[in-house]
Amino acid sequence: MTETIDISGPGMIAAYCLLLIPLAMLLWQGVSILGRVTIAAVRMTVQLLFVGLYLQFVFNLNNAWLNCAWLLIMILVADVSILRHCRLRVRWFGPSLFVALLVGTAVPVLYFTTLILRRPHSMEARYLIPIGGMILGNCLRADIIGIRHFYDTIKRDSRTFEQSLAQGAELREAIRPYLREAFHNAVSPTIATMMTIGLVSLPGMMTGVILGGQPPVTAIRYQIAIMIAIFTGTAIAVPCAILMSLKCGFLPSGPLKSDVFAG
Amino acid sequence: MKDVMLQISALTVHAGGKPILQNFSLEVGEGEQVLVTAPSGMGKSTLLRCVLGFLTPQGGSIALQGEPVNDQSIWALRRQMSYVAQEPVLGNGTVRDILARPFDYHANRDLRHNLDRVPDLLRQLRLPQEIAEQQMESLSGGEKQRIALIAALLLDRPLLLLDEISASLDRDSAEAVFTTLAGLQEQTVLAVGHHADALPKADRIEMLPYGSGQQGEIQ
Repeated sequence: MTETIDISGPGMIAAYCLLLIPLAMLLWQGVSILGRVTIAAVRMTVQLLFVGLYLQFVFNLNNAWLNCAWLLIMILVADVSILRHCRLRVRWFGPSLFVALLVGTAVPVLYFTTLILRRPHSMEARYLIPIGGMILGNCLRADIIGIRHFYDTIKRDSRTFEQSLAQGAELREAIRPYLREAFHNAVSPTIATMMTIGLVSLPGMMTGVILGGQPPVTAIRYQIAIMIAIFTGTAIAVPCAILMSLKCGFLPSGPLKSDVFAG
Repeated sequence: MKDVMLQISALTVHAGGKPILQNFSLEVGEGEQVLVTAPSGMGKSTLLRCVLGFLTPQGGSIALQGEPVNDQSIWALRRQMSYVAQEPVLGNGTVRDILARPFDYHANRDLRHNLDRVPDLLRQLRLPQEIAEQQMESLSGGEKQRIALIAALLLDRPLLLLDEISASLDRDSAEAVFTTLAGLQEQTVLAVGHHADALPKADRIEMLPYGSGQQGEIQ
């Protein structure tokens, strides 16, 4: 197979020129989001430039501690982002969600690098950061769906929830149907992706491996392994995040705290 | 002199800085059936929610069989109470599933045999036996209320808390409920309602002191 073809300066200019087509379409249809599109394009460029430079530095150094620190920062950003999306108080839920995300990311990523790729050093930057990022990104999406569903449903069904407490349920028994439903909803998109993968679109990792010059069979192996790792990560992160948040979300006597939602 | 089942002392509950209940006291003896009346929104449901530990009062105390209700004790004390809400929401599923659900909880597992009483209770409360196979969502408000009462009675708890138990019932159904409650030998009943006819066979009727609190309930 051939090596990856780098995109040259003129090539990048050509890529930005492609933006003129959607901008023209938006102008033509009178959709007034040109400013937002421009800001989004600039932000994307600046963010990716920064990340690219940093990753280059991290990859060159390839220090296990630094790699872990980078992963922890990614988890911290995901932590705050999930809670903001769920409108939950970051100060209350932040620490427990951080631990859940850490476990949900670290277990599959270390399994992947150690037992699937069989790398001598499981903390190698080249594998730990992109694979960890893919798993974390999917944990983020699943946690937003799962945690939001869990707390929103209990708030909406507070009378049914309190009735189960009145009937003698312990907190873990009373939350069980809500947890089950939240978990189901959270992992459903990953299962749907697994069902249609390759038929509807070629997944990002597979595309990356092919563009990187590897044969499609290798790309498929990577894709299968990463999909299973992603599913494992979400299946760990969602219930862990919910169960570890109970102390913050519920009163010691059982009901949901009335001020659990921020703002 | 009967032992005291429930002791409420100087209970004060505020919401948004306004008093809902102010210095309310009540003593209910074992086996006694007491009705607390007050107009709508004067804190009747709030009172029951405090007994159940769903609300923490700003003042006063509640004790069940001498044991003070607090965040730690409430989990065990709730297993001494059954509760029927004014508009019961017991969840989705068939009536049979809904009645069986509480027996999946660790605290009630040994009582599963009480489900054998369902046909008798349905008869007593003038509900057809076939209702057991119906979905809860398809029932009328009065049917739901009687199913909620059956769910509460099956748990066989010493204290029964009833919120407007006859609010959604026609006269015959309400009579069936009152007769069933009057037949309870050992259970203590604390009911709340608008008028004395909310529990006509009550041993005692107490009024929530009118004007002691602002209008409103805490949900």
